[in-house]
Amino acid sequence: MKKELVIIGGGAAGLSAAIEARKKGVQDILILERSEELGGILRQCIHAGFGVHKYKTDLTGVEFAQRLRSEIKELGIEYLCGSFVIDMSAERLLTVVHPERGLFQIQAGAIILAMGCRERSRGALMIPGKRIAGVITAGTAQRYLNLKGYLPGKRIVILGSGDIGLIMARQFALEGAEVIRVVEIMPHSSGLARNISQCLEDFDIPLSFNSTVTDIQGRGRVESVTVSKVDESLKPILGTEEIIPCDTLLISAGLIPENELTKAAEIEMAGPGPRVNAELMTSAEGIFACGNVLHIHDLVDHVAAEGTYAGACAAKYLGYGDGAAEMPVFVSEPAYEPGKKAMICLGCPKGCRLVIDAEGNVSGNSCPKGEAFARQEAVSPMRMMSCLMRVAGQDRVFAVRTKSPIPKAMMHNCAEYIYAHPIAAERLPVHVGDVLIENILESGADIVAAQEVEL
Amino acid sequence: MYDAIVIGAGISGCSVARELSRYKLKSLVLEKGHDIAAGTTRGNSATVHAGYDPDPGTNKAIYNVRGSRMYEALCKELEVPYNRNGMVIFATNEEQMEECRRLKKTGDLNTVPTELCDRARLLEIEPDMGEGIIGGLWVPTSAMVCPYQLCFALSENAAMNGVEFRRSCKVTKIERGDDCWKVFAGGEVFETKYIFNCAGTHADIFNNMVSKDSFKIIPREGQHLVLDRELIKYVNTTLSQTPEKLPTGGHTKGMGLMPSVDGTVILGCNADDVEDKDFSDTTAEGIGKIVSYFEEKWKYLPISKYVPEFPRDKVITAYGGSRPHSDRDDFILGEPEDAKYFINLAGIESPGVTAAPAIAIDMVKILVEREGAEENPDYRPGRKIKKPFRDMTREEQLKAIEADPDYAKIVCRCETITEAEIRDAIRRPNGARSISGVKMRTRAGMGRCQGGFCSTRVLEILAEELGCGALEVRQSGNGSQVLLGRAAEGNL
Repeated sequence: MKKELVIIGGGAAGLSAAIEARKKGVQDILILERSEELGGILRQCIHAGFGVHKYKTDLTGVEFAQRLRSEIKELGIEYLCGSFVIDMSAERLLTVVHPERGLFQIQAGAIILAMGCRERSRGALMIPGKRIAGVITAGTAQRYLNLKGYLPGKRIVILGSGDIGLIMARQFALEGAEVIRVVEIMPHSSGLARNISQCLEDFDIPLSFNSTVTDIQGRGRVESVTVSKVDESLKPILGTEEIIPCDTLLISAGLIPENELTKAAEIEMAGPGPRVNAELMTSAEGIFACGNVLHIHDLVDHVAAEGTYAGACAAKYLGYGDGAAEMPVFVSEPAYEPGKKAMICLGCPKGCRLVIDAEGNVSGNSCPKGEAFARQEAVSPMRMMSCLMRVAGQDRVFAVRTKSPIPKAMMHNCAEYIYAHPIAAERLPVHVGDVLIENILESGADIVAAQEVEL
Repeated sequence: MYDAIVIGAGISGCSVARELSRYKLKSLVLEKGHDIAAGTTRGNSATVHAGYDPDPGTNKAIYNVRGSRMYEALCKELEVPYNRNGMVIFATNEEQMEECRRLKKTGDLNTVPTELCDRARLLEIEPDMGEGIIGGLWVPTSAMVCPYQLCFALSENAAMNGVEFRRSCKVTKIERGDDCWKVFAGGEVFETKYIFNCAGTHADIFNNMVSKDSFKIIPREGQHLVLDRELIKYVNTTLSQTPEKLPTGGHTKGMGLMPSVDGTVILGCNADDVEDKDFSDTTAEGIGKIVSYFEEKWKYLPISKYVPEFPRDKVITAYGGSRPHSDRDDFILGEPEDAKYFINLAGIESPGVTAAPAIAIDMVKILVEREGAEENPDYRPGRKIKKPFRDMTREEQLKAIEADPDYAKIVCRCETITEAEIRDAIRRPNGARSISGVKMRTRAGMGRCQGGFCSTRVLEILAEELGCGALEVRQSGNGSQVLLGRAAEGNL
């Protein structure tokens, strides 16, 4: 089979690339996606904080994915879920397997690599101790919870202050699990300031810097972990060991681009990602790379922007469009500083990054609305909340969210209320935005579906 | 009543079980662990040693050499990967060359072919060896195997030929009855004429229950690191420097680099005596020893030509295991004088994996010759096994998917393991019952992401195949539940 453009990976990068390539005029596009649905890791991100840049509104990851999927369908872009690329050559010949279509080959005019990344595992971190159940990466835990509806832990220590771990700390806390501590080997966090603020500080979860896990104990399942302080060279300091009883060690210690196909095609690498030129083309003619396969991004909005750019570049390579695409510029969010609250201003869609210190001084705003927003936040913080809801009598869960922010202090009670009121199966299907609970606990906010749920 | 009960389903026990299955005998294997090969067999250097170094005349020397010569045919018969890649013991100074000469003499006495090499000759064998190596010993008959894969294959073949297996069935007591042994295990009492004591680090406990000729097994732990499969293309042979002397006396083969049959690179191991007979942990100290050793020696290894520094970022996992070292410093084989019908295969430390098939033949022979056991006319030496998907040709992959679309569902992307293979691993004789069981049999979850992506799916497939709920699926043995409850129920 021949295809003009093949995109490997149907997550934020791949879908954005496909959409842009189509808009530039590429007709013959195929997206190859491994899982059963488009959306990639966004499918398991039920929390908000997505789309402030791309869509100028605060969406959950699931909603963000839904928007991308809708665009793909509206544009009539072909995709194949459940497919797996087992081989790729530098000459753009792909070997693919699929349960219905069997094993087949595609000669592509251009390829965009958008396979994303994987998590650094316990093994890669060489964490010593017992080889037992209950040691799990944050993303895997997120998959068990949000896609399968199971709790992989109830008393949790988190190693690493990466964003997924912080997000999971909040979700576990809302589930009623006990997040005992986040342990970070560095003297600073790798997570976004707003996640430290909204995921740990909101829930009084302690974060220890210059510390790491040096042993894991238990029979069958984790019963405790040993946490030690580390010196400047990151070596554990003898005598600082502290044993913390828990049933789960959640690992959130970095992401690694998934470049197995890239390497197999002998594409030149530059560190963990492929070397690319200013138009995101790798050392192999007509093979482009974007998103987390290229380098790890903080924000999905950035991944999407890079995907869009890659789509335009691939289109240009294939002879479409005006070639006017610009490489996106990523502005990092402010780093976490103790005592200072960091937030994204929700006063307007511009999405300024605000910081307010203990004295109430606001910075980062570009208009008075930002200052007002930050002061409100300082006095009576309001939060968007998302969590899971069950379908009564079934094994299914789906994502719901508050339609507008609720007082921070009400998050726990609202979550408990939602858990106690699973949706009746007769009310299905529900669509994104459908109101499921009106004015929950008189907070002034409705609970709406954040996910399409079929009958 | 059984003719034979085998205690322990490691490489020794499973070799004995398969040997027993050649005869018309009623045999049972009792394993306390959750799976076959759950102890020492799981965590070692995966090397089929040539036999150049055990002291001549010892059980270790005799069975190492015999076992080594059996391995290729055995692995072929059971369709288990085997790679005779040879071993290079390299020297960086004259003292180490002297040690190589000593080893050469031992090898000669053990009738194992070895060759003393200067640097030029070594470079013919392993072209990218680092600067500073002056020569060494080349051992062409050293090989690599996957010990637990072989153990699963032995157990499977034994089961096909009629041997019963019970897992999670711990022997707690052995008593002498009238003309039989009474074996108390898993809440039942089994009667048997013969016992084969293949209990690894626990073998002393059973011997000392029935015999005054007591011995002690000291668990000697060893840890290993596993490096990403992208490095194996830079190395052919197993590599080690001249052996290390242990403070406790005796010696190990020292640290080595082993290119595994699965395509990863194994580094290890340390050798430290421990108390816990089930010790399979990794420790900060153990891992630290391996890392600092290889950081120092990296420049000598062929990979360093392409990856100049020890690549910490290519470590995908670490594992540990305990070798059953006996206080007699040799394999303890056969019946104690005061315990007829109780046959020891004890103290089977390195080179135990290599020696086990040869030992099993001689130990089973004691029963067969004394009892005049008849051959089992239905015995089949092989097993029906499909090639792993990733090793198939495109043509074979196409056919496999046509016959079973589950072959097109790649569950483990790092190792390219399909749903069909995972279901097969659960359905086979003595099949997988846990996530770890699937992992050891198929390699799903053993690659660079260590199950991050596939474990959720493997768990679902296990629940389906075993007919249980997701909450009951275990990582390995008792108490190793993966999931602790349902989400969004607010019942915590």
